[in-house]
Amino acid sequence: MAERVLELDRVTMQFGGVVAVDSLSMRVDRGEIVALIGPNGAGKTTAFNCITGVYTPTSGQVRYLGNLIISNRPQGRMKELYAGSDKAFPAETVVNTPDRITKMGIARTFQNIRLFKTQTVFENVLIATHLHKTSNLFTAAFRLNYREEQQMRRHALEMLEVVGLADLKDEKATSLPYGKQRRLEIARALATKPQLLLLDEPAAGMNPQETDDLGRFITGIKNQFGLTVFLIEHHMDLVMDISDRVYVIDFGKLIAHGVPEEVQDNPDVITAYLGVEEE
Amino acid sequence: MKTVKIILAALLILCAAVLVIAAESSKDKLPGLLERMDAQGAAAQDTKMQKAKDRVLDALAEGSREKVLRSLERYLDGWPDRLDTGGTVARELFVYRNRPSLTAAGLFLLLAGALLLGAVFDRTGKIRKAALPALLIGLLYAGVYILESVVGSGTMLITVLKKGAIYALVAVAMNLLNGFTGLFSLGQAGFMLIGAYTFAIFTIETQSRAQVYQYYDGGLVQFALPTLAALALAGAAAAFFAFLIGLPVLRLKSDYLAIATLGFAEIIRAVFQYDGLGPITNGSNLLRKYPTFDTVLFPFLVAGACVAFIALVIHSTYGRSFKAIRDDEVAAEAMGINLFRHKQLAFVISSFFAGVGGALLAMYQTTVQAAAFTSAMTYEILLIVVIGGMGSLTGSVMASFLFIAASEWWLRFLDNEQAIGSFQLPLMRSGFRMVVFSVIIMAVVLFYRRGIMGDKELSLKRIARRLSPRKGGGANG
Repeated sequence: MAERVLELDRVTMQFGGVVAVDSLSMRVDRGEIVALIGPNGAGKTTAFNCITGVYTPTSGQVRYLGNLIISNRPQGRMKELYAGSDKAFPAETVVNTPDRITKMGIARTFQNIRLFKTQTVFENVLIATHLHKTSNLFTAAFRLNYREEQQMRRHALEMLEVVGLADLKDEKATSLPYGKQRRLEIARALATKPQLLLLDEPAAGMNPQETDDLGRFITGIKNQFGLTVFLIEHHMDLVMDISDRVYVIDFGKLIAHGVPEEVQDNPDVITAYLGVEEE
Repeated sequence: MKTVKIILAALLILCAAVLVIAAESSKDKLPGLLERMDAQGAAAQDTKMQKAKDRVLDALAEGSREKVLRSLERYLDGWPDRLDTGGTVARELFVYRNRPSLTAAGLFLLLAGALLLGAVFDRTGKIRKAALPALLIGLLYAGVYILESVVGSGTMLITVLKKGAIYALVAVAMNLLNGFTGLFSLGQAGFMLIGAYTFAIFTIETQSRAQVYQYYDGGLVQFALPTLAALALAGAAAAFFAFLIGLPVLRLKSDYLAIATLGFAEIIRAVFQYDGLGPITNGSNLLRKYPTFDTVLFPFLVAGACVAFIALVIHSTYGRSFKAIRDDEVAAEAMGINLFRHKQLAFVISSFFAGVGGALLAMYQTTVQAAAFTSAMTYEILLIVVIGGMGSLTGSVMASFLFIAASEWWLRFLDNEQAIGSFQLPLMRSGFRMVVFSVIIMAVVLFYRRGIMGDKELSLKRIARRLSPRKGGGANG
C-alpha cells in the first residue's frame, strides 16, 4: 500500500451556528493527484484552511506523514453550540500555526491570488526560500550568510525557470497577467520545498487552452519534484484529466469519492451540481 | 595608467598624512606660539595687552576652543604692529585656527586615496560599485564638519543639523515598523523617553548627583557609565520594554495596535514622573549634568551608524520577511514566516533605535524631563515618516531635516512683527509660524499623496536617470 501523506479524520469546522465542513474524512497517498470538488460554498477552501492551520477545526484530526499535526474537539462555548454530525471527539488537542505546517512540508496557493504586491516576481519567490534559513539577525544584517543567500537566490531562480517566469523576474508581481500570477503563486509554493502541494482553484479564470496547459504543468511538476498534489477545482475537464481520485463535498459533507469516471456518473454528484429535476 | 593611479593615490595619502599630523600636532603649540609672536616682550610693558594675552591662556586652561579662538582674535587685532605675525608664526597660526577643517580635509583625502587604491586593485568590481557612495558619504561628513568650524557651532544651521540627524534616526526607526512591517504603532515617544531617561540616569556625574537629585537625597544610582555604553544601554532598555509590551499588544491589528501603543506611551510618561520613583527618575524634576555633545559630528556619526544598520536589516532576509508581512499576512504565514516572531523583532529593533534617538535628544537638549515626551512628539515623527514616504529610508531622512529646518528656522520670521515702511503686516505675530507650517504640510500631503519618496529610495542611479533621461543609469547606486 502506498504511503499515506495526508489523512483527515472526521474534521468538522463550525462558525457560530454554521457547519462549514462536517465530519470530513479523506486521505491522499504519496504520488497521487487528488481533487476536491463541490458546488460553490460547499466548504472546500475551509477544508484547506483547516489543513494548513489558518483555521483550527472545531473537531477532528489531521495527520501528515503519520504524525498528528492538528487535533481538536469542541471547547468553551462550542460545546453547546456544536451541531456537527460526528459525536466522537478526539482526546488530544494539537494546534499548529500555518508557518509551522509549511515548514513540515505542506505548501499551498490561494483561491484569490495573494502575492506580495509591492515586490518583484523574484522577491516573491525569494521570500518563500527563507523558511530553511539558519542565519540570525546579525549574520543576516552584516551579510555573513552570504553563501546561504546565494543558495536561496539560485533556488528561487530555478523555481521561476520551472514555471517559465524567469525572464519576468524583475517585474512587479501585480503587473503580471492573471494566468502568470497563478503560476507565480505555484513557484512560490514550490520554493518552500514541499512534499505535499495544495492548490486552491489553480485554473480559476483561465480559458480552455490555458487550463489544458495548466493540467500538463501540474503533472509535470508533480513528477519532477516527486510531489503529492491535492487540489480544489471547478473545471471538470481538468479534474477528470489529471486526478487519480476525486472527493466530492456538498454543504460540508462528503457525498462521493472514487476514480473520476465513477464520480462523474454518481447520481448524488449530478444532483449536487445540477439540482434536482422537478417533476 | 595603473602606475599613474597608484602614484596619485600614494600622493593623496601622503598629503592626507601631512595635513592630519600637522593639524593634530598644532593642538598644544599655542603657548609657545604666543611667546614667539611677542618676541620683544611688548606685553610685559602694556597691561592691556598682557590682559588680552592672559585671557587667551585662561581660555586655553579652561579647554574651550571657541573661547580661545575668540580671545586670540582680539589679541591679534588689538596689537598688530607690535606682534610678529609673519613667516612660520603665520603658518602655525593658520594651522592652529583651522585644525578641525584641516583634519577633516586630511581624512577626506585619505579616504579618496584609499578608494583610488581599492579601485586599482579591485578585480570583481565590487569595490568600485561601493566607492562612489562611500566617497559621497565621506564628503558629506567632512562637509558638515568643515561647515561647523566655519559658521560656528552655536548657529541655527548647526542646531537644525543636530536635531535633524536625531529626528532622522527616530523617523527611520518608526518607518521600519510602520512603513516596512505594516504595524501601525504610536509608542515612539514612550520608547524615546525610556532611552532618554536611561541615558541620563546612568551618566550624570557622581559629584553632581546630590545637586540634581536634591529632593531625593542624591538618588539611588551612584555611578556613571561612559557615554557610548550608556547610549547602547538606553537602546537596550527601550528594546526590553518593547519586548514585554509586544507580548500582548502585537496580537492586535491596525488601529487597535495604535491605540494600545499610544496608551503605553502615556502610561510611561506618567510613571516616570511618579514621585515614588524619585530616587531613580527624579520625579517630575529635570535631569541634567550628564554628558552632552558639542560637535554636530557626534549625532551625525551615531545616527548614521544606526540608520546604516537599519538599512542593512531591511535589505536582508529579515527585511524581506517584514515587507512580506506588510503586503499580506496570510500569504506570509503560508510561506513559513512566523508572524509573531517577526513582528516582535521589528518592534524591538525599532524601539531600540527609538531609545538611542531619545538618548541623543536628551544630549542635544542638555536637560530632560518626562513631561516633554508627549504624544505630539510621536505625531511629529509620524508626520515626518508620512511626508518622507512610508517605506522609504532616504525619504524619512530628508523629510526630518526639512521638517526641523522649516519648523525651527525658516519660518521663524513669521513669529515676529514686521513692517514694510510704516505698514504693519497683519497676522505676523507669535504662533503664526505654526499656522503657515500646517498649511504647507497639507499642501505637501495633497500633492505628494504617498510622501516625497513614496516607497522608493534615493539613489545615485535614480538621480543620474533624472538628470539624463535618454542615457539611462550611468552611475552606481
